[in-house]
Amino acid sequence: MKTLSYTLLASLTATGSLLADTPEEHSAALQKVQLTPTTELVGEKENQILDSFVRVNATIQTFNAGQPWQRNNPQRRSGLGTLISPTEIITAAEMVANQTYLELESADSSQSVQAKVVAIDYKANLALLSPVGDPGFLAKKTPLEIAKPAKIGDPVNVWQFEDNGTTLKTTASIRAVDTSATFLSGNSFLTYILKGSMQSASSSFTLPATRNGKFLGVLTSYDSDDQISEVIAPEIIETFLRDARDGIYEGFPTLGCAIQRTEDKSFRQYLGLSEDGGGLYISRVKPDSPADKAGMKKGDVLLAVDGSELDRRGYFQHPDYGPLTWTVLIRSGKTVGDTISLTILRDGKEQTLSATLEATQPPLIPRHINDSPPPFLIKGGLVFQELSREYLRAFGDNWTTRAPLPLMYAMENPEDYEEERNSIVFLARVLPNPATIGYDRLGGMIVNGANGQPVKDIAELAALLEKTPANGIHTIELDEAPGVIYLDAEISDQVDQQFLQQGLPTLSRLPEKKLSPAEVETIAAEALGEKTETEESE
Amino acid sequence: MIIRTLFCGLVGLSPLAAQLAPPAETVALVEKKPAQAATLFDSVLRIEVATQNPDYGTPWNAGGFSGGNGTGFLIGPNQILTNAHVVSNARRILVTQRNSARKLPATIQHIAHDCDLALISLDDPAPLEGLIHLPIGGMPELDSEVRAIGYPVGGDRLSVTRGIVSRIDFRPYSHSRSDSHLIIQVDAAINPGNSGGPAIQGDKVIGVAFQGLTQADNTGYIIPTPVINRFLTDIEDGRYDKYMDLGLTSFPLFNPAMRKALGLPDDDRGVLVTGIIPDGPCDGFMQENDILLAIDGNPIDSAGNITVDGETLVLHEIVERKFAKDTVKLDFLRDGSRQSAEIILKPLPGAPIFTVIYGERPEYIFYGGLVIQPLTLNAMSAHRLTGVTIRHLTTNYLNKAIFRERPEILVLTRVESDELTANMGGFTDSVINTINGEKVRDLKHAYELLYEKEQPEFTVIEFENMGRPLVIPSAKVEAVNQRLMKTNNIPSNHYLGE
Repeated sequence: MKTLSYTLLASLTATGSLLADTPEEHSAALQKVQLTPTTELVGEKENQILDSFVRVNATIQTFNAGQPWQRNNPQRRSGLGTLISPTEIITAAEMVANQTYLELESADSSQSVQAKVVAIDYKANLALLSPVGDPGFLAKKTPLEIAKPAKIGDPVNVWQFEDNGTTLKTTASIRAVDTSATFLSGNSFLTYILKGSMQSASSSFTLPATRNGKFLGVLTSYDSDDQISEVIAPEIIETFLRDARDGIYEGFPTLGCAIQRTEDKSFRQYLGLSEDGGGLYISRVKPDSPADKAGMKKGDVLLAVDGSELDRRGYFQHPDYGPLTWTVLIRSGKTVGDTISLTILRDGKEQTLSATLEATQPPLIPRHINDSPPPFLIKGGLVFQELSREYLRAFGDNWTTRAPLPLMYAMENPEDYEEERNSIVFLARVLPNPATIGYDRLGGMIVNGANGQPVKDIAELAALLEKTPANGIHTIELDEAPGVIYLDAEISDQVDQQFLQQGLPTLSRLPEKKLSPAEVETIAAEALGEKTETEESE
Repeated sequence: MIIRTLFCGLVGLSPLAAQLAPPAETVALVEKKPAQAATLFDSVLRIEVATQNPDYGTPWNAGGFSGGNGTGFLIGPNQILTNAHVVSNARRILVTQRNSARKLPATIQHIAHDCDLALISLDDPAPLEGLIHLPIGGMPELDSEVRAIGYPVGGDRLSVTRGIVSRIDFRPYSHSRSDSHLIIQVDAAINPGNSGGPAIQGDKVIGVAFQGLTQADNTGYIIPTPVINRFLTDIEDGRYDKYMDLGLTSFPLFNPAMRKALGLPDDDRGVLVTGIIPDGPCDGFMQENDILLAIDGNPIDSAGNITVDGETLVLHEIVERKFAKDTVKLDFLRDGSRQSAEIILKPLPGAPIFTVIYGERPEYIFYGGLVIQPLTLNAMSAHRLTGVTIRHLTTNYLNKAIFRERPEILVLTRVESDELTANMGGFTDSVINTINGEKVRDLKHAYELLYEKEQPEFTVIEFENMGRPLVIPSAKVEAVNQRLMKTNNIPSNHYLGE
């Protein structure tokens, strides 16, 4: 499945993350459909054309992981958005992530207005846009209601614009309902799987899907070989909007535990599980997470969530959709503050725990950074950064073996570092200069402290290096040999000034002290990184 | 650049082809003793080797059979010097003299994988009578002429090529994957099959041809005489003890701010001690943050080099020429005061993780479909063990003294599919921490815990960095073993080495 599926993009050959690591979860829940309705393309003169869609054009500029002071070349991305109120447009987060300019355009490209992102959820792959100032041509458009959840077999319309402004409508049918990560890997959400043949057209990146004249979801990918596409389900859109419209976007909640399947017969016997039953083994509970607060412990077996029993692979039986991954029970209809009941088996006895869902805490090592430039600090030619998975991935193919081992180890074992730090600060590289003679080859080393104080994050490192020690020499404590390196305060300041004269735009970019929940969401990743293939996180 | 050894491999030489070769005896019958006195060329011998290469991927299998040929030369009575890589994993060694077709069986006397040298002898030394024992000379001058003699590809008879000494350096020896020693680079053509052959200056051996670069022209490498002499001295007591190591890591002290902060004058002297390997020779004598100033009275510069007889060498070359139980004097600065220590040399622990193993059967345990092997460089390459956990353990094995608690790092390398193991595939390539709650030290210990101790109802194996333990109902192991060992031709449920 992975190799075949690709995003429906016409106007962009994009960064790696766009052809995202979609989990291979589909096949399990695919259900038989009685008949695939023939798909047809309907021309402009058709009566039932909906006038609720706009072109979304975004200029995308990501940051350079190795030289964080500069951005990569801009790219242009265009897709469609759906008007759900006179000033609210829904599109996919992937469409507008890392945008530096955004505009909404009429189908025939004759009119446009500038737009801004009101709320964005990278994990659920949804974004809410609104025009900047006067809504312009949007005022004449017809907003759509959000559709009720559909059923397997239901016909669905998918909408596209041709270059000349013609509207194309394709009828497809819902073949299955599943969970899928449509943008960021490891974040699966409820997804409708459509069967139906589509053509490529301009602005084909993210398309609206409707049912009975109502907005059903955002189509994010199309596999032309199998004629299968993925649509973000209306339940997810509904929850996203409810959260976004109350002012502060908190994001989908998480439970904060990692699970393992219990298909292994011997393991089931050892745990005292019945031969034909289900259950998921809890392999880790994140401290202070909702699961931890509810009293869940490593070694428990999760049997049911809100009364829905889980099988040994983690599927529960949804009344309409059939078998679905258990994560749907936590993040499709639930929002932060909701309570769920967890039935667990501990020491051979069933117990019921009650967990209050919370927003995901930003992890020590962010998995994905979007719209948030990577922080850095240059001191005397030493370049310090905060560790993110994206930094490591920038090492290219085989990045897990090419990236520096200490950083890879930290990414796989963040719990070893969590207590003393807000982030992992590391010496990324050295820009050779007279102050760094003897240090030129250092890089990929975690920073523990500076001038005798521990370093919790890069802002703190910057503050510590701001003050000149009495002997005029800064000390930087590293996690490995040579242990401590020294910088002459005066010379390094001179060197830094030279870097500025040679075209470096700035010597530091430090994260703002207080993050709003929306910004937290921006850099938030999975509460617990996925560590092994067999382990799933929630 | 890829370094290749100059061993001429004949992978999959068919027995049929060997039979079709002209019978050796016929020629030997006609042959007479050479009329004129033997030359040094006569002392250079062709070595033909049939090898059996252990299969670390399937450790119970016999391994692959192949072969090849190299060169050796007579340095004493029935003492033929060649490269270790020529005779590694050998099942049969045959030596052929110049102008003779007789294949004379030979046996390895000493083999030193860390410096790629071996000494072999003929089972019947009579044919070597009257041959010159090539004398070992000294270090050649840069730009002086050398001849390489051997049996490289391109023909069957002895080959002589000429060139000059292009460079004298300290470089990796590719055979063990982990050693660096003094090396001489020559521009004489050196090709596969030259391995083990002498490089001659005048009438003396100044080195043994052993490796080249695949992506460069006219760069042949030879093992110089200090390395040869060290090998020959080391084996005098009948045993090869390997190279010694200080067990100390250092960082150059170029940086002016660093020197100032450490209170050092701007005199280009000394390196910072950044790590002492526990239980190594320096443990208890040296400390982190000492400034190493001199080794055996030779001043150390800020790059870690010393000057001996006008040549710049890395400081470790002093230790290179020494043997186990020899002493080294280190002068260093600690907390501003000058001190010195006499270090007694000994080998470092943990070699199998860092160097390739030759000539040994792979060790393993087979338990209910699980295959457990100690972590070795061979197993790493056979199973492509490149995970972060394994690399982190090997990186810290010496300096964080992991070897004390677990002399061997045990890896679940395979899971043979059967009733018990159907859903355990996700555990392959993981490092075993405990068996039934007990920390596992090495393979023998694991064998005791799995097979010799009385088993609980469930055998529980815990791994480094895995979310759950692996559990096997002990009572079922015997039946599964029988079935799997039969299907996979596994002769025994363990091989724990000799």
